[in-house]
Amino acid sequence: MEKHLSSTAFQPVRPAAPQDSADLPTGYGTTESYLLPKDPAWMFLFWEIIPATFDYIRSQYGQETLNRSRTIIRLYDITGVEYFDGNNANVFYDMPVMLDAKSWYIHAPQAGRTYIADLGFLTPEGQFILLTRTNVTSLPPGKVSDIIDDQWMCVEGDFIKLLELSGAAHIGLGASERMHVIDQRWRLTELAGALRAPSSAMSSWSSFALHTAPAPVEDEDIWLKADCEIIVYGSASRNAIVSINGKEIQLQDGKFSFRQALPSGAVLDLPIKATNKKGDKKRQVHIKALREQGK
Amino acid sequence: MGQEKGYLALVLHAHLPFIKHPEYPDFLEEDWFYEAMVETYLPLLNVFENLTDEGVDFRLTMSVTPPLCNMMSDPLLIERFRHYLNQRVELSEKELQRTHGTDFAPVAKMYYDKFRRLKDLFENKYHSHVLEGFKKFQDMGKLEIITCGATHGYLPLMVHKESVNAQVKIAANDYRIRFGRSPRGIWLGECAYNPGDDKFLRDEGIRFFFMESHGILHGTPRPKYGIYAPVYCPKTGVAAFARDMESAQQVWSAESGYPGDARYREFYRDLGYDLDYDYIKPYLHSDGVRRNIGMKYCKITGKVPLNQKAPYYPDEARSVAAEHAGNFMFNRQKQIEYLATLMDRKPLVVSMYDAELYGHWWYEGIDFLEFLFKKIYYDQKDIKLITPMEYLEMYPVNQTVQPSMSSWGDKGYHDVWLNSGNDWIYRHLIKSAERMRDLANAHPHAGGLLGRTLNQMARELVLMQSSDWAFLMTTGTAKEYSTKRTKDHVQRFNELYEQIKHNRINEAYVYDLECRDSIFQEIDYNVYSSAAKDKVLNQYK
Repeated sequence: MEKHLSSTAFQPVRPAAPQDSADLPTGYGTTESYLLPKDPAWMFLFWEIIPATFDYIRSQYGQETLNRSRTIIRLYDITGVEYFDGNNANVFYDMPVMLDAKSWYIHAPQAGRTYIADLGFLTPEGQFILLTRTNVTSLPPGKVSDIIDDQWMCVEGDFIKLLELSGAAHIGLGASERMHVIDQRWRLTELAGALRAPSSAMSSWSSFALHTAPAPVEDEDIWLKADCEIIVYGSASRNAIVSINGKEIQLQDGKFSFRQALPSGAVLDLPIKATNKKGDKKRQVHIKALREQGK
Repeated sequence: MGQEKGYLALVLHAHLPFIKHPEYPDFLEEDWFYEAMVETYLPLLNVFENLTDEGVDFRLTMSVTPPLCNMMSDPLLIERFRHYLNQRVELSEKELQRTHGTDFAPVAKMYYDKFRRLKDLFENKYHSHVLEGFKKFQDMGKLEIITCGATHGYLPLMVHKESVNAQVKIAANDYRIRFGRSPRGIWLGECAYNPGDDKFLRDEGIRFFFMESHGILHGTPRPKYGIYAPVYCPKTGVAAFARDMESAQQVWSAESGYPGDARYREFYRDLGYDLDYDYIKPYLHSDGVRRNIGMKYCKITGKVPLNQKAPYYPDEARSVAAEHAGNFMFNRQKQIEYLATLMDRKPLVVSMYDAELYGHWWYEGIDFLEFLFKKIYYDQKDIKLITPMEYLEMYPVNQTVQPSMSSWGDKGYHDVWLNSGNDWIYRHLIKSAERMRDLANAHPHAGGLLGRTLNQMARELVLMQSSDWAFLMTTGTAKEYSTKRTKDHVQRFNELYEQIKHNRINEAYVYDLECRDSIFQEIDYNVYSSAAKDKVLNQYK
C-alpha cells in the first residue's frame, strides 16, 4: 500500500510485441494421456501418441497383429487401490475408440469412484497392448452420503427437512446469474445454449429424492434407474462450416463432437451439415435416434 | 452470544480477469474494469463510508481477487480509469443543462451527483488507490477481505498439483502485499473444489472457503446441519461454508427476483445510443461506434419495446430498493427462526453473490445493500450479520466432513469449463503446467535473465489458467477475445520455453511481455517446484 502513484499522464503507448502466431501446436511430441473429471457421470480423456510409439509397438508385436487388433480405451476402477500396477483394479471396462479422435468423453460406470484409463490395442486373442496410461481421477458421488457420523447423529426427519430447505431443487443453477451479467455486457440477450445439452441437467439430480433416506436394510424390493445420452462425433474438412440441427459447431483440428440427452420415448433428429465458405458446396449426414424403453 | 436466533453471512465475490492492453491507446474489454469501478466497487465503498459516518455496525465478507487487486493498483489502468471517470463527470454536467425542465432532469442530476461523489472518493479519499478503502474497512473489523486463486484458476481440472499450490501461494503472497496480513479465507474460483486441495489452503494459514450447497450436502459423512453450519475438512481442519439457495433465488430468480421491478433502471436503454451522434461521440471509444456508456435514463417500465420506456425517477427506485431490503430481511428472519427449531445450535445462512451484479446488473442493488445493513442494525433483533471467522470463534467445534467435488456452475460440476466448445484448451494448459514444473525443478533459484524469463513464464501460465476464458467460450459472448487470450498466453509461454531450451533468450521479447502481462510483479517461479508441493502434501500423509 506504500506504493503511491505519481499522477503522470498515460504511459507511452508501447510498440506492438512480436505478433503471436495464429495456431497452437496440435501436439507436443510426447506420448501421453490425461483423464479429467466432468461430473458424477462423465470424464474427459485426451491423448497424443507419437509415431515413434507406434513404431516401437510394431517392432515388438508385428504389423500383422496390430492390423487384427482393435483400438480401445480400458477404463479401470481403482477405488481404494493404493498403488495401481496394471493388474489390481477392482474391475475394468473396455470401449472401442478411434485413436485419431485425440479426445473422448467417457461415461463413468459409477459415480463416486476412482478411475484410471489406458489406451491400447486389444488382439483377437484378448491380449492388451498398452500405448499410454492416464493420471488418476476421482468422481464426485452426486448424492447424499449413506454414512452417518455417530458423533453427529441427527433426527432423520429433521435432516430431510434441512435438505429441502438447503435448496436441493435449485442445485446446479448457480452460475446462470453470472452468465446473464456477462451476456448483457455485449447486449446479447440470448444465451448461447448450443453447447449445453438440454435436460441433461436433471440427470444427476432427478434421482436426488431417492437418496435422501438411507436404503432400507431388509427390504426385498429393489429399484433401477437408467438414463441415456448420445454422443455424435465426426470430422470434416478444416475449411468447412459444420452445423448440427441448424446450430453451428466449432471444429477442433477438423473434428467435432456433440453430446445430448436422449429422454425416454424421444426421437432425436440431428441433421449434420457441412458447407464451404462460399456456400456452394454442401455435404450432409442425417442421424436419427429413437429411444424405446420397455418396462 | 446475544439474543439473536441465528446469523446471516453476506458474501460478495468481486472479480474480473486481468485485462490490460498497453499496446492500444484504448481497448474495449478494459471497459469491464472501468464500468465495475463506477457501478460497483466505488459505490460499495461509498456505502461503507455512509454506514460508518452514521455509526451503523455492519459485517460483510468480500473477495477482491488477485487480478482485480493488480488492476486496481496498475498505474496505466488507474490513469485510464481517471480519464473514464472525468469524462462521465463532464458529460453529466452538460446533461444538467440539456435536460433542464424535462422529465429526465432528476435522473441527470442523479448521475451528476454520483459521478462527482465517486470522483471525490477516488481522488481525495483513496488517492486513486481504491484498495486503500477496502483495507480501511477490513482494519476496522467491518469487512473480511478474502483472496482467490491467483487468477481464478479452475483447480479441479489442474492435474499437476504444483499448479494448485502455486495458484494459492501466489494469491496469498499478493494479498499480504496489498493488505498487510495473511488471508484467512478464500473464494475458490467458480467455487470449484477438489477434495484434498484444502491442504494447500491450510499451508497458507487459510481457515475457510465457500462452496455450492451440494458440496456439503453430498459430503461424507452426512452433514448433520445440512448447509446451515460449516464443516471441517478431514486432516486439515479448513472450514467449508456452503451457499444458501433460498436467499440466492430470492434475489436472482428470473420470475420473482427483485431486479426485475418495473420501477428499476432499464439496462438496455443507454445514452450511448440515444443521444445525437456528434454530442455523444467524444465519450465513445476512438472507433466512434455507438456503445453503452453506462448512463441510462429510463426505467424497466414493463414489457414494452425499448423505445416506449418511461423516464426513470431515482427517488421512486430508491424507495423500491428499501422495500426489497425489508422483504429480504423479513424472509431471513422467518427462515432463521424456522431453522432454529430444527437445530441444536444457532443456524447460519450464507448468502453469496457476484459483487458485480450489485450496481452493474441491478443498479439499485447498492442501495438495497445499504438499506439492508441499516434495517438489520436498527429494526430487529432476530438475526445478526456475521463473518465466517466470527462464527468459527463462536462455534469452534464443527463436524468433520469430506466435502464433495463441486462448483457453482450450471449443473453443479465442471460442464461450463469443460465441454466440446472449450475442451481443447486443457491439452495446452496441462502441458504448460507440466513444463513449468519441470523448469522450476531443473533451475532452482535462477537469477538474472533466466530468472526473469522463468518468472514471466509463470505469469503467462497463471494468465492462461483464468477460468474466465473457458467460461466465456461457453456462454458464447466474447468468445473471440477469450479464445485469443488463451492462445496468446500459451504461445508466449511456449516461445519463452523454446528460448530457454535452446539457450537463446531474447531480452527484448521478455521485457515486452513483462510490460504487457504485468500481473504479479513479485512472482517467484520457484513456487512451481515439486519440492514446494511435496512439502505441503507430506504434512498430511
